[in-house]
Amino acid sequence: MAAITHTGHDSRAINSMGLWLFIASEFALFSAFIFARYYLTGRDQPEELNIGLGYAITVVLLSSSVCAYLAEQAIARGDRRRFLRFTLAAIVLGTLFLVGVGLEWREAAHSFPPPDLYGTVFFSLTGLHASHMVTGLLALLFIWVQGRRGRFDAEAHWGVTGVVRYWHFVDLVWLIVFPTLYLV
Amino acid sequence: MKPRDAYAAFVIWVVLTALGEAFVLRANIYPLAGNEFARDVDDAFRLLMALAVPVFTFVVTVLVYSLLRFRRNGEPAEDGPPIHSHRGAVWGWFAVTSGLTLLVMVHPGFTGLLELRESRHQEMVVAVQAAQWSWNFTFPGRSELEKVKDLKLPTDTKIRFDVTSRDVVHSFWLPMYRMKIDAVPGRVNSVYVATEEAVSYGENVNVRVQCAELCGTGHPRMQVRVEVVERPEFDAWLAEQEAG
Amino acid sequence: MAATALIARTRDWAFGPILRGLLTGLVGFSLGAGFTAGVRALAGADAIAFGPVIFGGYWFGLAGWLLGVGVWRTWAREWLGMPVDWTMRNGWQRYFDFTTDHKVIGVQYLVTFLGMFFLAGLLAMLMRIEHLTGGQVLFSPSQYNYVMSLHGITMIFVAVAAVIGGFGNYAVPIMIGAADMAYPRLNALSYWLAAPVPVLLLATFFAGGFDAGWTSYPPLAVENRDGQILFNLAFITLGLSSIAGSINFIVTVTKLRARGLSFGRLPIFVWGVFAMSLLGFFFTQYVAAAMMMTLLDRLFGMVFFDAAGGGDPLLYQHIFWFYSHPAVYIMGIPGLALALEVITHFSRKPLFAYRWVVGGILAITALSAVVWAHHMFTAGLSDIELFFFVTTTELISIPTGLIFLGALGTIWGGRLWLRTPMLFALAVIFNFLIGGLTGIFLADVFTDIHLQDTFFVVAHFHYTIVGAGIFGLFAGIYYWFPKITGRSYSEFWAKLHFWWMFLGFNMTFLPMFWLGLNGMNRRVASYPSDLEALNVVASLGGFFLGAGFLVFLANIVVSWVRGPAASANPWRARTLEWHTSSPPPVENFESEPEVVGHPYDYGTPGAVHAMLAGAEEEGG
Ligand SMILES: [Cu+2]
Ligand SMILES: [Cu+2]
Repeated sequence: MAAITHTGHDSRAINSMGLWLFIASEFALFSAFIFARYYLTGRDQPEELNIGLGYAITVVLLSSSVCAYLAEQAIARGDRRRFLRFTLAAIVLGTLFLVGVGLEWREAAHSFPPPDLYGTVFFSLTGLHASHMVTGLLALLFIWVQGRRGRFDAEAHWGVTGVVRYWHFVDLVWLIVFPTLYLV
Repeated sequence: MKPRDAYAAFVIWVVLTALGEAFVLRANIYPLAGNEFARDVDDAFRLLMALAVPVFTFVVTVLVYSLLRFRRNGEPAEDGPPIHSHRGAVWGWFAVTSGLTLLVMVHPGFTGLLELRESRHQEMVVAVQAAQWSWNFTFPGRSELEKVKDLKLPTDTKIRFDVTSRDVVHSFWLPMYRMKIDAVPGRVNSVYVATEEAVSYGENVNVRVQCAELCGTGHPRMQVRVEVVERPEFDAWLAEQEAG
Repeated sequence: MAATALIARTRDWAFGPILRGLLTGLVGFSLGAGFTAGVRALAGADAIAFGPVIFGGYWFGLAGWLLGVGVWRTWAREWLGMPVDWTMRNGWQRYFDFTTDHKVIGVQYLVTFLGMFFLAGLLAMLMRIEHLTGGQVLFSPSQYNYVMSLHGITMIFVAVAAVIGGFGNYAVPIMIGAADMAYPRLNALSYWLAAPVPVLLLATFFAGGFDAGWTSYPPLAVENRDGQILFNLAFITLGLSSIAGSINFIVTVTKLRARGLSFGRLPIFVWGVFAMSLLGFFFTQYVAAAMMMTLLDRLFGMVFFDAAGGGDPLLYQHIFWFYSHPAVYIMGIPGLALALEVITHFSRKPLFAYRWVVGGILAITALSAVVWAHHMFTAGLSDIELFFFVTTTELISIPTGLIFLGALGTIWGGRLWLRTPMLFALAVIFNFLIGGLTGIFLADVFTDIHLQDTFFVVAHFHYTIVGAGIFGLFAGIYYWFPKITGRSYSEFWAKLHFWWMFLGFNMTFLPMFWLGLNGMNRRVASYPSDLEALNVVASLGGFFLGAGFLVFLANIVVSWVRGPAASANPWRARTLEWHTSSPPPVENFESEPEVVGHPYDYGTPGAVHAMLAGAEEEGG
């Protein structure tokens, strides 16, 4: 029966297209909050922002993305050891990023708590991004556990490709969110 | 389908259009118009109807004519002619609809915007504060009149209303002047109204201020009865309000 | 991996999946609510505040519900490398299960949203009773606002989901010769994600209702009764469902078309669903964002829309309409496309100017992204903004005109077969003509200032959304009834229903244009008594319109149970769904279809649209 369903249809291409659409859709969600930030606060920006910490976690997140990329390359060559090692590194760096955001939040909660306008855009935008980070981390954790159990190889690793692509997307969003909140 | 069908439909269309135009150009479906601006808006409305009539009658003629002329009793035994398109018909349609669209875009679209712009003159500025569920007015040099239920305005005066809100979004609507602006918290939106003759809510219900944006329980009754009166009477009323 | 390879848990009880879902949903809700209350207690806040607890509980409850109703069995177990152990059921039970067959899902959508349609229709009857006089009849103003708001949002959800969710799911995969959607399990998820939405809406009753209309503008929607929270959650939930559905349609139509079915041969209904999915998958996120910001303001003390704190209520209107204007096309275009589909087959003539019509639909799709602020002409926009949005909005008339060109060019000189689907399809054209022409009065700032927020607008959008979307829905119901059920409906009762609904509809909504022009603003329990006469006409029309649906229900129920058997192709239509049995088998075709020609080549001897491998050609 399944024969008819997928005659001539490449299920990897189908999944890939769906993921791209999902990412585009998520981008729309972020764009609404980014628009809100510019609409409400224009070029204003509070003094209290800890830009140093901001740069630091940005670097951490970028390294995480690089590790995820290397992990995907590794599994594509069938190198499971390297795949697991880099996935784990991506997870650790991603978690470190979240810890950094947590520190930012502690400072921000003192300088401009939510009833403040900048607090509103800061907490909503970083919170929205952090919730996507958590989803991405869970997904990375999932492929790491599956990888340890012997799943994924050079031929079949769509799960890895999909999760890593999502992870890159979440990083890319941060590269827009960061200047939006800290630099403009 | 023969040329005869096209001629017949054309004649029907012309007749229906003539009847339709006669109706929309003469029908008085409009509420009381209190000034020049309102009459211009009604003219624009009438013009749009006049332009809509031939479009409406065209579609209805083709629909109903086809329905009667091309119907088959029961399942059609044969197919219709294999006409996939018709260059002249398509480009003609495209040209006519585009032309009509551009026409209404320019007039009354852009010209209406211009008239709106040119209507911005004031001899008197009135601050309007909306609140759940009442209207508060401040006339120049006077203290605020709170929870106004009856309002007087002077005749033949160009008035600017600076409208804002204290709580939720409301909308300041003067139906007889065809003018409306939202009362948005944190913003002051201005509208310009030139009063003309004396007229009162007692004569026509559209001589009122009506909240037009849903604002909660009291929304429908968030209205002010308006009376446009001669200047001396207005001044006396205002002084009396101040005193009372 | 293929969804159809999923197996059987044959001895499951019929309502097992739903009950398990309710149970796990309840567990999830308790966990989420408890967690939220705990966090609040630790933070020193009032632990069991209604809003935050409901909000926190809801998301866990929703996850629990989805896991219990089917995601765990069909999906999560596979991810976790556990044996997947269930199969699609065959009997009526499959309609109450996490079934992946797109035809079952289509029927689930149809029945669910028809139920919501009748419910919201009853609310409309109550509103029309209230409007029998200018004063108070049935409700206090606050009760009226709740009934009106609930009517509005329920009908909006019906308009968004009934045609696309129902017939998009049922017909599109068959029409393109696919065995199912691209992601069958995601498709089932979309439906079961939509299923809690009516429950949330009804639950607003127990949370004090809500009164901000379907547009729910802040600050009102941030300050009003707590039912508003459930409204916001319902909107986000349906949004997620329609994003998932839209992605599924886009990939299905792009990737799963039968061999030979190029985009230039796509049936027009498929085009309609495809184009609207392009809007749905992207723009729906904006309404989700607007709802989230409302909730953040309400529950977490943020100030997006609070002017006193530096926020701006207009921000909401921009984001909301950035979705909701495209959404009105999501509500209207599928019905229009369905009408064109029906008109073509029942005129037995090719769809006139097919490419122009497709171009028109795509142009509307593109333009709809840049017209949103015409809903805000009285909100205090600058002159340059007004100028821009008048221009873009008026431009939409041109591609819309092409849809009329297609309809009129097709029926002219055709061989019209006036069965019920055709009558409904022609009514779509007529109603949408009125809806479209009156839209021009609203697209133009000069006339719109007066008409904005009046019954003129109410009449206008009922002519477009009900007149095109819902009349299209009924065209589809009668058109595909034989295909879905394998039975024929009674033509007499169907035609009676048509004329009843057509007359009732026009009698209800035509007077409202005049009422709005003459000073009746919308969303009011009371109005100036000068306007009573035509309100009574509209009310009587409304009661008449409502009563007509009894005819529909009786006909559909009786015909479904014991109507005469229908053949595979009772209309002698040419698209692919008529090349398979009524109802079609699981995976739709006995053998693989191949498309060799245009779907609308009526009148060309020997022209064939599609063939099934191994079968004799079955063109038509
Ligand atoms: Cu109001
Ligand atoms: Cu719109």
